[in-house]
Amino acid sequence: MGTLAEQAAFYYLAAASIASAGLAITRSNPIHSMLWVLALFLHIAGIFVLVGAQFLAAVQVIVYAGAILVFYLFFVMLLDLPSETAGRRFGAHWPLAAAAGAAFAVFLARWHEPGLATPAPPAADVAPVPHVAAVGMALFTEFALPFEIVSLVLLVAIVGAVVVARRKTTS
Amino acid sequence: MVPAGAFLGLSAILFAIGLVGFLSRRNIILMLVSLEIMLNAVNVNFAAFGHHLLEERGQILALFVIAVAAAEAAIGLGLVIALTRNRPGVCIEHLTELKW
Repeated sequence: MGTLAEQAAFYYLAAASIASAGLAITRSNPIHSMLWVLALFLHIAGIFVLVGAQFLAAVQVIVYAGAILVFYLFFVMLLDLPSETAGRRFGAHWPLAAAAGAAFAVFLARWHEPGLATPAPPAADVAPVPHVAAVGMALFTEFALPFEIVSLVLLVAIVGAVVVARRKTTS
Repeated sequence: MVPAGAFLGLSAILFAIGLVGFLSRRNIILMLVSLEIMLNAVNVNFAAFGHHLLEERGQILALFVIAVAAAEAAIGLGLVIALTRNRPGVCIEHLTELKW
C-alpha cells in the first residue's frame, strides 16, 4: 500500500473512531449508543488491519462486534427501559468527570518528556514483520499456559454470571 | 508510514472519551460500554506497539484483553440483571445502600 493511501486510511479511521466514541457516550437512547459503539469497533478493526494485525482484526469483528456487543444489545432490549431516553443522560457529577478527562489529557501531553518517549524500532532486516502464522506460533508455544488460564477465566465467568443472575429460590 | 505517536494519540483520545463516559453516564449498561471503549483503546496501543517494535507479542496481549473483556461483559450484565430484580431502572443513582 502506498504511503499516502495508508495515511489517508489511518486519518479516516481515527477521525471516524473518535466521532463514534464521542457520539456513543452522549446519545440518550441506549440502542443508538450501542450502534455507535458497533461503528467504533469496526473502525478499530480497520486500524488493526493497518498495523498488520489481521488476526486481531478478525477477532475484533467476530468476538467484539459479533458477540459482546450483540450481548449488550440483547440486554438493553431485554430490560426494556422506556424511561431511559426521557431522563437525564449524565449524573449531576458530570463536571467532575469532565475534569478527570481534562486532567488525563494534561497528563498525556507530557508524553514527549525524556524517559517517556516511544522506544526506537529495531533494524528492519533483523526481525520479520509479524503475521498470522507468527502470532499462532507464539500463542501456542510461549503463551500456551496463559492461553489455558484464559479459558479457565472464561469458564469461571460463565458459571459466575449464571450464579449471580439466578433467581433465588427459597426452599 | 504512519508514525507510532499518531496511534498512541488516537488510543489516548479514545481512552479519555471512555473515561469521561464511564464517570458521567447514569445508565449502568452504558458505563460498562464505556469500559469496553477504554479496553479497545488499550488494544489499539498494544497493536501499534507490536507493529512499531516488529513484535507479535503485542497482538497476543490484545487477544487476552479481548477474552477478559468478554468475561467482564458476562459478569457485569449478570450483576445488572440481579440489580433490576429489586429496583425499577438501571440508574446508578438508585444504588445508595452503601451510602451513609
